[in-house]
Amino acid sequence: MTTQSPSRQAPVFRRTHSLVLSANVLFAVSAIGASAQSVQLQRQLTDLSGYYAFPVSSRRDSRRERFRSLAQQWRRETQWVSSTTEAAMNPAYQAIIGMGAEAIPMILEDLRQNSGHWYWALKAISNEDPVVPRDRGSIKKMKSAWLQWGETKGLVRA
Amino acid sequence: MTFSDLVRAMQVRFPNLTVENSRPTSAYDEGYNCIAWAAEDTDYWWWPDVMGQHYWPPDVPREETLDAFVRAYGMKGYTQRCDSTMEPGRQKVAIYVASSGKPTHAARQLLDGWWASKLGQQIDIEHEFAALDGPAYGSVAVVLARTAT
Repeated sequence: MTTQSPSRQAPVFRRTHSLVLSANVLFAVSAIGASAQSVQLQRQLTDLSGYYAFPVSSRRDSRRERFRSLAQQWRRETQWVSSTTEAAMNPAYQAIIGMGAEAIPMILEDLRQNSGHWYWALKAISNEDPVVPRDRGSIKKMKSAWLQWGETKGLVRA
Repeated sequence: MTFSDLVRAMQVRFPNLTVENSRPTSAYDEGYNCIAWAAEDTDYWWWPDVMGQHYWPPDVPREETLDAFVRAYGMKGYTQRCDSTMEPGRQKVAIYVASSGKPTHAARQLLDGWWASKLGQQIDIEHEFAALDGPAYGSVAVVLARTAT
């Protein structure tokens, strides 16, 4: 888990507040006598400033945490299950599929480190299947095929 | 974690399972499941999933029905329906179904009359016939036999 230290977070928040404050001041001053369209544009500028001021890495971390939590829940709830369908229909697994394309690098990394039957999710999200028919069910070969697929696309490190 | 601890943890899903009516025989292995293990295959995960992810015998309908599972084991020679008693010269597999009627699990009879099961991605165990009955796997719907090879 990547945890940001307070010494790294503090400047980010100061910068964030500073940017949002600047936008608000700009909005307040320029709103005097401005047209409705201009006011609306200023509001959008304020929103955008706030959005882009937050580091993308923080948003990724929260998604990564959500993925880890869901993956753990899925493993715990389906460890005794032989049915591929039942394992894939597990609510935690479905929630991971619901995360869409951004989940693929996290799934591939988890697959590389911990294994696990991630193949249904990978196929459902990517709409691709690099496993040749004769290797279906051969977990080692399926894992290898999907990791190679991910490496080719730059989604997981080699 | 000892097998005793594991059994205690499993009893929520397998209320009949005890350390007296079961014993562990392998470590965790995600490479095959109970359906494969009953067919004596440790190289593939068997399941007729609609996504076509896992192995299913060719020429058997890829559907989660008891009939499809009976036909899958038929490809391995298990064609005679029977009961769970031990009979010299005959090998048996048992297919479990949930209350929905969907297959959930399979076990293979051993020479001492106990049954060999792979528990999902988890361990292999040997157990008495009714030890796995319960909310996780339901109960045995069909026992099939073939002449011992």
